[in-house]
Amino acid sequence: MGLFIENYNISGADAVALEDSIMEKGRGVTVGSRILKNFVSPFNATVVDRLLDNGFKIAGRANMDEFGLLKLSRDDDNMPTGAIRAVSDDVAAFSLCNDLFGRYRREATENDCCYIHPTYGTVSRYGLVPLASSMDQIGIVCKDLAQGFGLLSYISGKDPKDGAMFPESTYDYTKPAGEITLGVPKSVIEKADVDTQDAITEFIDGFANTEIDLEHFDLYSRVMYILSSAEISNNLSRYDGIKFGYRASNFSDLEDLYTKTRSEGFGPDAKSAIIMGAMMLSKDQYGAYYERAMKVRRLIKESIKFDRYNVIVLPCNIGDDPYENLSLYALSPLAGLPSVSFSYKGHGIQLIAGVKNEDLLLSTWEVCKA
Amino acid sequence: MKYETIIGLEVHVELATKSKLFCPCSTEFGSDINENVCPICSGMPGTSPMINKKAVELGIAAGLLTNSAIARRIAFDKKNYFYPDLPSGYQVTQLFSPICKNGWVEIETDAGKRRINLTQIHIEEDAGKLIHDDWTDTTLVDFNRASVPLIEIVTNPDFRSGEEVVAFLEKLRSLLSFAGVSDCKMQEGSMRCDINLSVREKGTEKLGTRTEIKNMNSLKAITAAIAYESRRHIEALETGDEVLVQETRRWDDSIGETFSMRGKEDATDYRFCPDPDIMPVFIGDEWIDSVRDNLPETAQAKFIRLTEELDLSEYDSEIITRSKNLSDIFDETLKHFENPKEVANWVIVELLAIAKGDNKNEDDVRIDCRKFAKLIELVENKTINRNVGKQVLSLVLEDDIDPVQYIEENKLGMISDTSLINEIIKKVLWENPKAVEEYRGGSKKVQGFFIGQIMRKLGGKANPQMITSLLRDALKED
Repeated sequence: MGLFIENYNISGADAVALEDSIMEKGRGVTVGSRILKNFVSPFNATVVDRLLDNGFKIAGRANMDEFGLLKLSRDDDNMPTGAIRAVSDDVAAFSLCNDLFGRYRREATENDCCYIHPTYGTVSRYGLVPLASSMDQIGIVCKDLAQGFGLLSYISGKDPKDGAMFPESTYDYTKPAGEITLGVPKSVIEKADVDTQDAITEFIDGFANTEIDLEHFDLYSRVMYILSSAEISNNLSRYDGIKFGYRASNFSDLEDLYTKTRSEGFGPDAKSAIIMGAMMLSKDQYGAYYERAMKVRRLIKESIKFDRYNVIVLPCNIGDDPYENLSLYALSPLAGLPSVSFSYKGHGIQLIAGVKNEDLLLSTWEVCKA
Repeated sequence: MKYETIIGLEVHVELATKSKLFCPCSTEFGSDINENVCPICSGMPGTSPMINKKAVELGIAAGLLTNSAIARRIAFDKKNYFYPDLPSGYQVTQLFSPICKNGWVEIETDAGKRRINLTQIHIEEDAGKLIHDDWTDTTLVDFNRASVPLIEIVTNPDFRSGEEVVAFLEKLRSLLSFAGVSDCKMQEGSMRCDINLSVREKGTEKLGTRTEIKNMNSLKAITAAIAYESRRHIEALETGDEVLVQETRRWDDSIGETFSMRGKEDATDYRFCPDPDIMPVFIGDEWIDSVRDNLPETAQAKFIRLTEELDLSEYDSEIITRSKNLSDIFDETLKHFENPKEVANWVIVELLAIAKGDNKNEDDVRIDCRKFAKLIELVENKTINRNVGKQVLSLVLEDDIDPVQYIEENKLGMISDTSLINEIIKKVLWENPKAVEEYRGGSKKVQGFFIGQIMRKLGGKANPQMITSLLRDALKED
């Protein structure tokens, strides 16, 4: 995977690379898929406008997995995604991307970067090509979380063009956070390798902490997979070869136009999500999959109480299976919670806080850095 | 009659919002192709639907007018299917939590008054329109109508005749158009319905096989289609020549028959699911109360006002209150010329006659009511005569001319110069000595003939009463 799909040859402390899912007026947006080949965005994403208004420059359009989908088969190409490389290679100071399935959050910690996944509904998704609407969230790849939150304060805040946002027009991430008590899900951390476990033990020693049980943890990835597939199958329906994007060159009738366009335009991961999602939403299966997953999603949300603790600590890797690792990354999107991922003593750590409690995450990181 | 026809309706009504359901695009009918389209309503990636509050408000109004229970929390769902006129690949509708439930509308037919129960009313977006270009043999899409807000009113299977269906649709049209919920113009597609029909033997409980006739948009066609379809069902039941199947059918107005729309339609699984992009909308008591308080006068209330307060005949009041547009014209004109009888007369007789001549109906007539009122006043104060008034009215309608200026410029004002009129009278009498003799011989009938002749010479611009009295004097004198 090359770093950029389009390189604007701009670098420096104010350069921001965009995952090729964030739209810029007059520029192509492929989302790493042939289906949007030759699609030119007619408008700027709100985050792009806010970056430019605040003196940042766009470094280029970073390469990505098709639509940012979950890759169920390991790629031969083990290079990190473009948005990570842009920052780790010091091409850009920051990257913006939509990390649904955790690839960015994991790769950030493996490449000397940090990742900020803000609270759902605090960063406008206007101009972000949708994947799974109830979970899509623009996040930030950065070298330093304090700088990352600095950038976040420019791009977050209510946008009238996104219908699913909190009312605040700005957020202050640097306000002094209160007492931090880490919630430590021991049974999950034990799934990580011994070195990582040791690093986490060392990390939590610097804080008040308490052992917690992440109820339904074994269902996280399944709920995430079902709901995301369903929403993806909806959101990818608009790519039908009629209005924009790729259209098969030879077809006999409408049905053939749809079939060929979508067969040729989508890659295997998109097709898999579309088919699974369509099946899960079908009349016969809706109750068994989608409806049940929605109920479990609510149970998961309700199970994270932030009562005895206010920051959850998780590892960033518990094995080679992306599906198993998905459990680690599903909680933030499913419950709309903010998280940060960074490397501590060479091991990836993820912190999750309550809705709009990003300040706690920044404070925790600052304590451990000190 | 051994059989009874059981009918239920799904009525689609386009809401009278200025902008679309999720974006600021105009909903105006008759714009240029794809003029009212933006990234949101053309389904571009990266856009997010922003719910139009006015559409929800009109949905609440529809609920209040149909005695429905209004939901306190409404949400939207996606109905998935592929068709080129559907930009996102799904239609946003309300399956799981519609805005209204369990309403009813009272109708009146020759058989008396009856209640038609409504299962639900829900808000949804309209689709675009396919246009086939015969010249290049290609099909093109017009997205102007895509995402225009609709309500779908679903009735229980309460109808037993086409007459009841028509009475219901007329009642609905009156309720919704007077409240400003929709203009309900069937010819423009802003009101259309699907008919679900089955036939069973009278006295039996079990419903017969049901067929659905889609997309009906004229009362005449609806009446004919229901008659045809129930006859087809009865014949099938009696003769057994045709086996009825549950299916969707299309009415062909030119042939006068329904045809099976065999295809995948019935097999479609719409894969409904909640739309996560649209936050649920909460409807509190205050909102409902404010919609209720701001509901305009219903046709029924207006009828009572016209007959009781303004002392108009029931016949006139009925015509005026049959059309929201006409009754608006009446009210507005009355503001500028406070003579209800005359205004009613001009609206019903003259305005409608001219409209009919132009192939327009009462809903399509547009007129500057201030000018209309002025014109009526000019006739009433005898500045111009009635015939001139009619001619000027058609010019006001056609070219929006200013009647006062026009009458002045074209010297259409009535001739009130008695010496000029007397001169003409003399001339006419001189030219028609035989008629004068007849008159004097006792035949008063010829008076009409004289007046006609005099009027013609005056170019129709004199007051007939004045001519009559001057004529009588002249005939005495001679």
